[in-house]
Amino acid sequence: MEDRIPGGYDNFVIPFLAGMAFILAYCIAKLIGIIMHMPSDDRKKLLLSLVNPRIIAKNIADIFSDCLLHVKIFRKNPKLGYMHMSIAFGWFMLIVIGHMEVAEFMPEKLHTFYYPIFFNYFVLKTADSGTALAVYEFLMDFFLLMVLSGVGIAVFKRFRSSIVGMKRTTRPLTRDRIAMYALWAIFPLRLIAEASVAGTGGGGFLAMSIYKAISPLMPESANVLPIWWAYSISLGIFFFMLPYSRYMHIPTEAVLIMFRNAGIRATNAETGFSLLEQYSCSTCGMCIDACPMTNIAEGEKNASVYFIRNLRYGGGKSSTKSIANACLMCNKCVAACPVGINSCELKRRYRSADYDGMPARQYGFVPSMETHPATIGNTAGNPCMEDHGNRISASYAIAGTKGQSRGVDSKPHKTASCKQNEDNVYNKKAIYFSGCMTQLTPSVSRSMERIFKAAGIDYSYMDRDGGLCCGRPLMLAGNDRDAASLIEKNTGIIETSGAEILVLSCPICYKVFKENYRLGNIRIMHHTEYINGLIESGRIKIRRTDEKLAYHDPCELGRGCGIYDEPRKIISAAGHLAEASENRESSICCGGSLGSITLTYDQRSKVTQAALESLACGSPDRIVTACPLCLKTFGTYSALPVEDIAFTVARSLEN
Amino acid sequence: MDNNYNTIIIGAGPAGMEAAYRLSVFGIRTCLLEKEAETGGHLLKWDRIFPEGRKASEILGFMRKRIESGNITTITSARIDSIRKKAGNGYEAELATNEGKKTITADTILIACGFKLFNAAKKEEYGYGIYNRVITNADLENLFKTNSTGSIIGENRTPAVGFVHCVGSRDEKAGNRHCSKVCCATAVKQAMEIKEAYPQATVYCFYMDLRMFGRHYEDMYLEAQQKYGIRFIRGRVSEVSEDCNERIVAKAEDTLSGKPVKITLDMLVLMSGIACNPDSGKITGSLSIENDSDGFIKYADSIFGQVKGPGIFTAGTCTGPKTLPETINEAGEAAAVIYGYLKGNSNNF
Ligand SMILES: Cc1cc2nc3c(=O)[nH]c(=O)nc-3n(C[C@H](O)[C@H](O)[C@H](O)COP(=O)(O)OP(=O)(O)OC[C@H]3O[C@@H](n4cnc5c(N)ncnc54)[C@H](O)[C@@H]3O)c2cc1C
Ligand code: SF4
Ligand code: SF4
Ligand code: SF4
Repeated sequence: MEDRIPGGYDNFVIPFLAGMAFILAYCIAKLIGIIMHMPSDDRKKLLLSLVNPRIIAKNIADIFSDCLLHVKIFRKNPKLGYMHMSIAFGWFMLIVIGHMEVAEFMPEKLHTFYYPIFFNYFVLKTADSGTALAVYEFLMDFFLLMVLSGVGIAVFKRFRSSIVGMKRTTRPLTRDRIAMYALWAIFPLRLIAEASVAGTGGGGFLAMSIYKAISPLMPESANVLPIWWAYSISLGIFFFMLPYSRYMHIPTEAVLIMFRNAGIRATNAETGFSLLEQYSCSTCGMCIDACPMTNIAEGEKNASVYFIRNLRYGGGKSSTKSIANACLMCNKCVAACPVGINSCELKRRYRSADYDGMPARQYGFVPSMETHPATIGNTAGNPCMEDHGNRISASYAIAGTKGQSRGVDSKPHKTASCKQNEDNVYNKKAIYFSGCMTQLTPSVSRSMERIFKAAGIDYSYMDRDGGLCCGRPLMLAGNDRDAASLIEKNTGIIETSGAEILVLSCPICYKVFKENYRLGNIRIMHHTEYINGLIESGRIKIRRTDEKLAYHDPCELGRGCGIYDEPRKIISAAGHLAEASENRESSICCGGSLGSITLTYDQRSKVTQAALESLACGSPDRIVTACPLCLKTFGTYSALPVEDIAFTVARSLEN
Repeated sequence: MDNNYNTIIIGAGPAGMEAAYRLSVFGIRTCLLEKEAETGGHLLKWDRIFPEGRKASEILGFMRKRIESGNITTITSARIDSIRKKAGNGYEAELATNEGKKTITADTILIACGFKLFNAAKKEEYGYGIYNRVITNADLENLFKTNSTGSIIGENRTPAVGFVHCVGSRDEKAGNRHCSKVCCATAVKQAMEIKEAYPQATVYCFYMDLRMFGRHYEDMYLEAQQKYGIRFIRGRVSEVSEDCNERIVAKAEDTLSGKPVKITLDMLVLMSGIACNPDSGKITGSLSIENDSDGFIKYADSIFGQVKGPGIFTAGTCTGPKTLPETINEAGEAAAVIYGYLKGNSNNF
């Protein structure tokens, strides 16, 4: 191989080079900005992660599988996965093999940015190139074909999203369109450009056959330059548009993965890590189909992708806020997101900005330790239950709010492993906290008491005569500071009780106790875990009937805490399990979620109906849930009887 | 006798019975369908009727007498398998009755299928179906009828009794935004009846606001306070639990004094509201008539009433909460409109 063009340069490479220089400078500047805005602890974490071999290995593995092969999308939707994989991986291979080719045949040109990209234009194929070149030519054409097939699907998907099995797709912005058309153009132009010079520069099966077909019609030397210009310009436009379009996710996602693996999380919705999350959103739209708000008229506009888009492009404050406030915080979109963007946390952080600079509320209802058990209603402080709440003025000691908010992690803490001391766990003293919600569903707390008694457990009922809210509703509303004072009080009560296991009926409480309380050695169990343990260890015996029971995975218990199997085991011990059409990670929110601040009851009822339809899939006799809020919400609208799993067990007890 | 009528009346509650009687006076032949074994609708379940406390059984007896007419064919235990518009004019219904299947036809239809009492178990926080001492207004009427309030209250001659207003009414979470209209008056009436039976009792009414809208209703309210010393507490009961003696502990907030209250009771009575009868949706569905978002049948005109659809009419609580006299009035009006329609006056109003 040798230079066909003296000096190995032509002006047409300028658009490409300019675009490349721009995007590199932009990315570096942005990255510095993001790092500067992060808390210093996070910067430390990042530095440490860069020298930690375990994290380095994980970074490489994750980047390969998520950014190039798109394994997560593949698993959820093979056609869509192929589309992403073929473009990303194909393009990546073109760049890698292109550089290898240059390194092999023209090593002195490797330092120029453009040479490997426009290789075929600049070289003259000589007879001595041998089979190595043929292999390179084949590989290059193979991966180009792969990319082209992906682009083909992408073009098709734009017009008919159902082709890849999606009901809805995002509405692209003009800027996205420009970048998109540039991207679509790059690869066909590359093929034509390479085919046009295949006579001199060589080419694989694709380029060569096109060359043979068009060369009789087109005298080579005259017409090739404009095509190479077009190819370079399309690359240039794409690079220039990158920061202003959704395609910024291509360079960002790898960085996001590294930051996430370093243990960094969003601390607010607008700067630092959250910017990485915003830029990493490919607006693939998988969160739209996942979102139960699409069952509400106009609800689709509240999907996470539009929230992120608003954050990123500074969409009107009011609409960003209305999306953040409408969200049920069911986390379904987070489970569906192939990039793993925690959009719920971003929304929560966005909401919490409202509380900055506001004086701490004086919660008169927080009693002093001495007066516990409180003699007053225990639903106060739960902002979602205002109509039931006792807004009580003064007269009780006001709890200090010194305790700093501990924030909410997206992952549950690993608490003392359940398996080790399994056999004696059920001999220990237990404390049962029913929570505000369960106070409104006495069938659940009564069933729990029956179960405790049948199993012969020494237990105390922490809030039989009224207790405090666990703090989670305040956190969901973004008010971490006031939640901290509730957490402090409850911790004191539990610690002085002498119990070794804390049993909770409400998944909302359960999640917050696991993540935001520090209870030392006290084991925290949801009643599904606890009851399942009682059954498995033989402490209670239950009758099995022929009834078909559909199990609803409550958002906070399933997606929130990863508990899917224990309730299913219990149900299978009491009857036949009938699965919902959308279950486990895809379970539809019951509609009663405390997460939404603004959805009306009418709108929520649409979500409830959708969930009930999904549950009716296996034509069950009853619907069983494991959350007092789901129980209440379904109870209002369901034609089938609805009960809590504790009730199912209590009514089937043999001892 | 043939199976052709001038009017099919669906539901032999007060509305259906009264309309049948009025139509019979006009000489119009009706078929009065009742799905239960007896005529009377909800009137069958009540003991005394506010505001004067007249016996429901006497009122019902009077109404039953009035429908003993050659022009009225009453079929009880009748299930409507299908109902539809015939080709041309008129309607046709297929019935399953105690005497087997039957097809009847008529020129017009009067829907008088009434309401359904809200299922108080859906408001689980009040513990209906969970705690023995929590009952509904309908249960209490039954206890009055059978003289058996003692089955709940026991031997205690100085019981504490609570009434919770608006159970399943004015409550978006329960899916019912509307006011049921009759339960405030019913609660006041029942509270006084408790005091009659247990003069030493302490009786509380937990209300959001009192809707004593009818003639003489305000007198009842004054009498309840002055003569019977009933304690009216403005505020919703937030939750209900049971103490170790299986008595009821109700927590509420007195919004007038701004103080929380916690009261131990021997009996808690839930004022279940008037909810739509789900049957009405099936009937209107096959007759192409609309129901409102609250489930009740939609009026064609908010002032003049009646529904859209030639030859189809309504009376009573299938179009929303009504007291007994209002129901009776509307039945009379429906009879007059049907008479006009059959005489060729197609104007629904
Ligand atoms: C607790 C309570 C207490 C009350 N006390 C008073 C009072 O003291 N004074 C007062 O003025 N009002 C009172 N009311 C109101 C009174 O009960 C109603 O106004 C009255 O019952 C309405 O009559 P209706 O015929 O419209 O409905 P309903 O009484 O409900 O009768 C409807 C009839 O239609 C039948 N039906 C339903 N569907 C079908 C079908 N598909 N096919 C055939 N038949 C069907 C039903 O079985 C029923 O017999 C009270 C209401 C409540 C809830
Ligand atoms: S948030 Fe995730 S699922 Fe939603 S569009 Fe962005 S990348 Fe896709
Ligand atoms: S959390 Fe649930 S309701 Fe909110 S945007 Fe995601 S899927 Fe939709
Ligand atoms: S009549 Fe009174 S108790 Fe009944 S719904 Fe209306 S306000 Fe509530």
